[in-house]
Amino acid sequence: MWKYIVGRLVWIPFLLIAVAFITFILGRFGPGDPVEVMMGTKYNPVVAERIRSEMGLDKPVMVQFYKYIQSASKGDFGESFRFRGRSVSSLIAPKMIVSAKLSLVALLISISIGLPLGFYIAHKQGTWIDPLIVSFSVFFMSIPIMITIPFLLWIGCLKTNLVPCSGWGGIFDSRIIIPALAMGIPGVAGMLRIMRATTLDVLGQDYIRTAQSKGLHYFTVSTRHVFRNSIIPIVTILAFSLAGLLGGAFITETIMGIPGIGRFSVESIFNRDYPVIMAITLIGATAFVIANLMADISYSIIDPRIRYK
Amino acid sequence: MWICKNKLLFKVIFSSLLLIFLISCSSDSGEKNVDQFTNTSEKVLSEKKNNNNIVSAGKQLNVLYSDPPTLDPHRAQDSTSAGIILEIYSGLVSLDTNLQIIPDIAESWAISNDGMKYTFKLRDNAKFHNGKKITSADFVWSFNRAANPATTSITAEDYLGDIVGVQDVIDGKTDKISGIKLIDELTLEINIDSPKAYFLAKLTYPVSFVLDSENVKNKNWTDSPNGSGPFMLDEYLIGEKLLLKRNPDWYREPAKIEYVSMNLAGGQAMAMYENGEIDLTGVGMADLERVLDPSSDLNKDVVIAPLSFSQYYIGFNVQKPPFDDKYFRQALAHAINKELIANEVLSGMVKPAYGILPPGFPGYDKTIDGLKFNEQLAKDMLAKSKYSNINDLPRLILSVPGTGGSAGLDIEVIIEMWKQTLGIEVEIQQVEWATFLQMLNRQELQFFSGLGWIADYPDPENFLDINFHSTKSTNHNGYKNEEVDKLLESARIEQDLNNRMQMYNNAERIIVDEAPWIPLWFPGDRYVLINQRVKNYKLTPMSVPKYSLVEIVD
Repeated sequence: MWKYIVGRLVWIPFLLIAVAFITFILGRFGPGDPVEVMMGTKYNPVVAERIRSEMGLDKPVMVQFYKYIQSASKGDFGESFRFRGRSVSSLIAPKMIVSAKLSLVALLISISIGLPLGFYIAHKQGTWIDPLIVSFSVFFMSIPIMITIPFLLWIGCLKTNLVPCSGWGGIFDSRIIIPALAMGIPGVAGMLRIMRATTLDVLGQDYIRTAQSKGLHYFTVSTRHVFRNSIIPIVTILAFSLAGLLGGAFITETIMGIPGIGRFSVESIFNRDYPVIMAITLIGATAFVIANLMADISYSIIDPRIRYK
Repeated sequence: MWICKNKLLFKVIFSSLLLIFLISCSSDSGEKNVDQFTNTSEKVLSEKKNNNNIVSAGKQLNVLYSDPPTLDPHRAQDSTSAGIILEIYSGLVSLDTNLQIIPDIAESWAISNDGMKYTFKLRDNAKFHNGKKITSADFVWSFNRAANPATTSITAEDYLGDIVGVQDVIDGKTDKISGIKLIDELTLEINIDSPKAYFLAKLTYPVSFVLDSENVKNKNWTDSPNGSGPFMLDEYLIGEKLLLKRNPDWYREPAKIEYVSMNLAGGQAMAMYENGEIDLTGVGMADLERVLDPSSDLNKDVVIAPLSFSQYYIGFNVQKPPFDDKYFRQALAHAINKELIANEVLSGMVKPAYGILPPGFPGYDKTIDGLKFNEQLAKDMLAKSKYSNINDLPRLILSVPGTGGSAGLDIEVIIEMWKQTLGIEVEIQQVEWATFLQMLNRQELQFFSGLGWIADYPDPENFLDINFHSTKSTNHNGYKNEEVDKLLESARIEQDLNNRMQMYNNAERIIVDEAPWIPLWFPGDRYVLINQRVKNYKLTPMSVPKYSLVEIVD
């Protein structure tokens, strides 16, 4: 087990360097140039050359990449090209927190509706309730967020004035309701269907029949045997959703005027703010790799039969 | 069985709720740390308000703003940054709300007879925000820092380049500007390379502002800048808010309001205005009719803003066929009915432009007629051009910047007019901004639109020289006319104001006739809503320091 974990950990830096390298090369060789964006229509090649050399952009790409990895490995992501004189970390940290808060609330909505409902309809297999709820959830999953948000805004803000139309005030602010609902409801279907499938699978297992024939109370069977075993695959989804928390949601953040990381990443790409793009990609990749590892490890904790060699 | 199953459902829901509750509680602790940050600052703010009698909630101006790319005056080059920098810092001279140059830290100045030596006398009472006296040594240090290549200032060449020795510092040959001399504690001498009438105007730009060398040494110093302007930076939360606090010891008349609160989180400006969250907002086309209706509540707040010093245009690359032919360009210009588009398509929000300089701009000449709409003339010009057989024309692609999917209604109508009058087919290509700039600077675009030129300082040089002199890198049209070059060069150093403006007018006439770009619009009447409680808020065509004049009545 430990050998397995260490083996996985050793690979992480190589994986991240590969991700960093691809992002770096794409930025440097793609069209557009950060200094030109900085200068806008008042471009002056002489000045641009001076700024480029001062920022180290005139050096060979491999030298730039080496220098970048060197400082990034110490946690120094450099200075933003667009917000001049500001460190990348001071820019993205507050925005990541905003996105994480929003996604966490959205995730809680998906879980708190999806899991119990999935568990419930698994027990209702064969009745009309099961297909009805599944089709409803799939219906909501299929509506793109570009439609749900304006619809929710129309009802919640314009017609009833229950919540403000846009903006951000943290988790305990009414402005989070619409974006969190819009992001959380499509997730219900995924949670619900996986929960339903795994519950059905578990219900058909021999050990459940054994437990029932032992005369255990229905509730004990459900919680100790069925629920615990059905939840394993959910852990995988949860882990990846948690990694997604840092990635933010571009569309929602843009429509709702939320100062999160999703909106900021896209703005940074348009501004060719390489240090910011690199940092966001690297943090996202790290979160993803670690979440993946944690999911694998948690399997063996929830189900002792799963062992890694 | 039913009861049993329902019980199960109840227990499952209960346990999930419990789980959620536990998760949200554990996330709360992290939550509070972050929120505390905002809450404390708001609490501090309200405490400050309670402790001080001058400060009442009514003395705060609330505006919607966006994150400034930088608060370092020497590195700033955009109007968003400038709007804040002009309030926090200051320089030798400034612009008042009528765009006249006025003394700022310099109380007076003398210009030598040859127009190349400026001697500034500083105020005795000018202080940084922390109370430190501002001396000529601070200015010498600041100019040297601005020009130093390590500062990576984009504007140093343009705004300080006239000063003797600045180029050497920029090139890294030395770190002292030879043309700036410290005479005594309060006297500063600046030598420029030739008698340039617009030099003083350039000194109003942030790159010429004074900074405190002790302050700049600190890491992330722009988070707590020690400026010299009418306001101090009280609080800045990126993406949330920026709060400016009155500098009570300002050397000129201190501000009348205590705070300017800038909302950086964005939102629907109109809705926020109507909710009283912000004190002013521009009115977009969608709300115009409602706001201008005399029976509307908002109507009494409407103010017409002065025209901004800018122009929208269609630019041609005159090196590329078919735009290398003057007659072809003229044909396109004559085929556009600007009056129709301005009134019917753009609801009168713009004024059709025929000349280059905007109305009200120094040197504006209303007798410049330009190429007016005339279908017959357009056809004649096309017939006169090398490209009279339109079937031989190369593929025409008009590039516009952006990602929105539309080039704008005005451009679409113009293309239709070209098609109807001249039979010329034009395709639109929308290019993402960074790529667009690259293609523009390399003169790879055949012709382009969606760009406006906005003056940085009120001098015709900033419109005509910078866009049409053949050696300027901002001349994206590849336009070259020796007579125009000559006129622009002599106007740079002409001392007589009338002669100088005459030179610019002559150059403008030639440019308009040769049509390296088709002037489209000057921004027209811009309607702005200003809350009745706000008095003396001056709308200006350019960024100038203005918050210190604002009064708030309740």
